[in-house]
Amino acid sequence: MLRISTRTLLRSTPRLFLRAQSSNALTKTQLPFTFSSAGPSAVKYTSQHEWIATHQDGTAFVGITKYAADALGDATYVELPEVDAELEAGDSIGSVESVKSASEVYSPLAGTVVDVNEALNESPQLINEDPMGQGWIAKLKINNPADVDGEELMTLEQYEKSLKEDH
Amino acid sequence: MIFKRFNATSALKKTALYDLHIALGGTMVPYAGYSMPVKYAKQTHIESHLWTRKHAGLFDVSHMMQSTLKGPEAVKFLHKITPTDFSSLPAGQGTLSVLLNEQGGVVDDTLITKVNDNTFSIVTNAGCVDQDTKFLREQISDFDCEWNPVQGKSLLALQGPEAPSVLGHLIKDGVSGLQTLYFGQKRAFQLAEGVTVDVARSGYTGEDGFEISVDNARALEFAQKLLDNSAVAAIGLAARDSLRLEAGMCLYGHELTEKITPIEASLAWLVSKTRRDGSLGKFNGWDRIMDQVNNKSAPVTRVGFKYLGKGPAARHESPIFLEDGATLVGHVSSGSASPSLGGLNIGQAYVKKGVHKKGTKLLVGVRNKKFPIEVVRMPFVPTHYYK
Repeated sequence: MLRISTRTLLRSTPRLFLRAQSSNALTKTQLPFTFSSAGPSAVKYTSQHEWIATHQDGTAFVGITKYAADALGDATYVELPEVDAELEAGDSIGSVESVKSASEVYSPLAGTVVDVNEALNESPQLINEDPMGQGWIAKLKINNPADVDGEELMTLEQYEKSLKEDH
Repeated sequence: MIFKRFNATSALKKTALYDLHIALGGTMVPYAGYSMPVKYAKQTHIESHLWTRKHAGLFDVSHMMQSTLKGPEAVKFLHKITPTDFSSLPAGQGTLSVLLNEQGGVVDDTLITKVNDNTFSIVTNAGCVDQDTKFLREQISDFDCEWNPVQGKSLLALQGPEAPSVLGHLIKDGVSGLQTLYFGQKRAFQLAEGVTVDVARSGYTGEDGFEISVDNARALEFAQKLLDNSAVAAIGLAARDSLRLEAGMCLYGHELTEKITPIEASLAWLVSKTRRDGSLGKFNGWDRIMDQVNNKSAPVTRVGFKYLGKGPAARHESPIFLEDGATLVGHVSSGSASPSLGGLNIGQAYVKKGVHKKGTKLLVGVRNKKFPIEVVRMPFVPTHYYK
């Protein structure tokens, strides 16, 4: 539902800026990263602008990328999934609303919701301020940790490259 | 998440301010056949909305159609296609109205200003250009008057409490020159360098402000002069829509369609008292509209509503139910979080007669959940017209 052309966004963002800042990298000081002391075992991206950070014990955090948060604008409401909900990869895990639009967020992998980021109920703007950290949406127990290596998901490098090619 | 993409940008028209939009970092989207800014780089949507309520916002609305109606039967023609009394309207005064089809449905909403008894200037919606043109050309054939789109003019809206002082500093007459220009009135003013602009005290935000028609050749320079004032920010379509929603105003295609009468749209005030006995001519859809006026027989009514709790905003076509959660009683026409009300979800809806009264509690369905709402009076925020 987003009424913003990604094409225009890219054109108006100097390329140098995109290259210099890994803005779609996971925030290292927040729970999705610090959940395990060694940090996540993998951070992957979907073509629909979700990120997933998986940890050794099969726990994973899901959110939307900085790129997506910027494109959406001020988040006014974040719809969170139900705890215990069982999801297939691609199932809706919630939505992010701005004044102008509502955008569905999809789970990158199959799993069960074990926690949601309640802070977003009071402070939806966390989605804009720190989408790759404080603005995480759901915590999952993923069904099959090996899925994270599947071809569907991209590395940070691949994701940022896909943004540049998206003309 | 899914991004809606728009292609074929090459076929889009550009307004005279297109280069300015790009220079200001406008996020350009296709709108009514034009490439228009939805927002600018300097502010978020919410910031730009609040800026307009507090200071002054500059909107490029050149995509709207400006036209002129001229001829001895201009009033007679307007009395067929609108329910408004244009015979008693003073020269220099404009009024909101609607173009009515033969069934009394709304072809478009419009601002019509009387220049003199035989000449009117008309502003209609960008998205309705084709249907309006076809409608007007068909309807006018039996009348001794001519309707023609105005070419080569830009239309800028300057809205917000600081708009009068900003514009006042750019016209020869100064700020005091605008003090006798009241809401709905339109006059020509000289800019300091001798350029003439047509200024109407009107807008689409609920704030005091102006809609200014200026030659394309002068538009860019004029817009830049307005933006040189630190009280002014360029504002895009996103805030234009949230501002008008809070002001309780209609957006064609949402609140108004060819199937909806002005009475159903809670715009009975557009049917002038002096038009209701038919002596000034019967307008299109007379029987249906006058039955709704006289017998309160409109089956549905446009209302405002607010959420009683949190939730995703109700959008166009979200269903509305009685509190039992099963009985469908209406549909949302527009809805979003309200920036001026701290993010409270508000909206406009069409509901069945009987559940339209202020304070009625209902439920709105968004995806698979239902959220409590209450019917409230519009506008959602106080208006500040200069009357």
